[in-house]
Amino acid sequence: MRAEELLEQVPIVHRETTGAEAARVVAEFRLTGLVVADDQDAPIAVIPGTQLLSVVLPQYVRDDPKLAHAFDERAADDLCRKLNTVTIGELLDAKRLKAAQVPSVLPEDTLIEIATVMDQGHSPVVLVRERDQSYRGVVTMSRVLAAIATAAGQDSDLVRRRLQRDIIERGRSGVLTQPDPPEPAAAGASDAPVVGD
Amino acid sequence: MHPAAWLALGVFALAYVVIASEKLNRAAVALTGGAAMVVIGATRGDAMFFSPETGIDWNVIFLLFGMMILVGILKQTGVFEFVAIWSAQRARARPFRMMVMLVLITALASALLDNVTTVLLIAPVTLLLCDRMGLAPIPFLLAEAMASNIGGTATLIGDPPNIIIASRAGLSFNDFLIHLAPIVVVLVAVFVGLCWLLWGRHFTHDPERAAAVLALTPRETITNRRLLWQMLAILALVLLGFLTHSLTHLEPSVISMIGAGLAIVVSRLDPEDYLQDVEWETLLFFAGLFIMVGSLVHQGVITQLADALTTAIGTNYHVAAQGILVGSAVLSGIIDNIPYVATMAPLVHDLVGPAPGLPPGQQSLWWVLALGADLGGNATAIGASANVVICGIAKRNGHPISFWEFTKYGLIVTAVTILCTIPYVSLRYFILP
Repeated sequence: MRAEELLEQVPIVHRETTGAEAARVVAEFRLTGLVVADDQDAPIAVIPGTQLLSVVLPQYVRDDPKLAHAFDERAADDLCRKLNTVTIGELLDAKRLKAAQVPSVLPEDTLIEIATVMDQGHSPVVLVRERDQSYRGVVTMSRVLAAIATAAGQDSDLVRRRLQRDIIERGRSGVLTQPDPPEPAAAGASDAPVVGD
Repeated sequence: MHPAAWLALGVFALAYVVIASEKLNRAAVALTGGAAMVVIGATRGDAMFFSPETGIDWNVIFLLFGMMILVGILKQTGVFEFVAIWSAQRARARPFRMMVMLVLITALASALLDNVTTVLLIAPVTLLLCDRMGLAPIPFLLAEAMASNIGGTATLIGDPPNIIIASRAGLSFNDFLIHLAPIVVVLVAVFVGLCWLLWGRHFTHDPERAAAVLALTPRETITNRRLLWQMLAILALVLLGFLTHSLTHLEPSVISMIGAGLAIVVSRLDPEDYLQDVEWETLLFFAGLFIMVGSLVHQGVITQLADALTTAIGTNYHVAAQGILVGSAVLSGIIDNIPYVATMAPLVHDLVGPAPGLPPGQQSLWWVLALGADLGGNATAIGASANVVICGIAKRNGHPISFWEFTKYGLIVTAVTILCTIPYVSLRYFILP
């Protein structure tokens, strides 16, 4: 299979998206990472999901994890609510989030070429770009593994479904979320393209 | 002076300037300086490694090493977090009372542990408390950095300069308790008053916010009760070892290494856990410094300097003591007090010799060196390692402290504490010896 057959659309967020909205997008679509796009919806970076978790934690708790035990439930909820007051852009600027540059492949690249780029870049996602750098979508590691499983004779309904429906479509069809179509990904987050599980 | 001595002085001065500029890693500079001393023939292998006068002071290195391991293991228990939150709750989360409690805890902990370790432990929990109370944390962090420098002055193990002075002067843990702890108690009381004037009178109490601190669960921070009791017992034994030096004649470095070994055995922690708090860079920095200063001693530079000073001072040790006190305070505010004391200790040694048996007036030179260097560290943001660490933590947590913000408070605190120390030195060593 080639990149153009494997590419899919995943939710993206922008610098203006709040931390709480970003958390909701990740939860709704069971994403392992979050793609940040510029004003033209062109992806500029990927934030691993674990980093979003660490954003909830104040720096002093990250410096001294034992302090996490001192928080009662109310205090913990207060911390979570603070995510409404910070944007992804602010977190990136403050270096609380470290965005990784996403490697890219061409639409005609093969499964092995995609796997090589992912392996070299230690990235669970690669962008698919035309030769003129225009953005087409992303290929996620789970879709690459689904294609590998199929090629290796380990086919199944779920593997086929993973190859047929992209993240947003699966979310809308109820495979990943509720049967009802969700609202457009999030306020400040567009359901135009990019990262998946 | 012969050419090798001049060359050694040049290497030393250059290294000092580079260390003070903080442009390069200080350990790398000190070790490069030490290597340069070997290359120019200012020192030799045996003088570097095996001479107590001109080589690496292994007592200092291993005392620090042992204490770093002990603190690293004690840290795993969560006891510091417990004490800080518990004390804030005992203060009913009233801002100034909380500040006083944190200052007292920091000063006491700094007397028993390294200052940097103390502020590394107390700063995160302070940020938590201020966050819950909606208070600006900078006054609290500044107060803690300064309290650690004042509290660390009290004991042999409280501040690295004291360890160097104790080793060079032949002073014991008890000597420090007898000579420095009394004035430090007074200085801490004065500092609490200063905290009120500088920050405390501007605080307002919000009962609702205070409730958020009272709701915290400090007991939960203690993650290993068994290890906590074991470590408290080992620390008590180490302290007893320091106190009974005159009976056992065990060096502080030996006692701390025995304590560290015992803690490693009983804690059953993996090496990466108990070694993670060892500041290898600091230990290497000390080693490089000792080689450089030892080279100056080896080349007779320090002796010549001491001879010149002896001629200038004559028998007027009172003026010399006050001069060293104030001069050390000023210089320690500008440069790191560790290289300063590493250089001054052999000089004072050449001036008056080892401390035991000296008349009070001459012995005072050792004590004013410690007081001046330790208290002077409060003057600026780069005066002491604890200040640098606090500023780093504050910045990382979104509360940057500028050099001048630190300095405007630091100068006041240094001036007041040194002014309180001047009459103490006069009374104790010259008027009522």
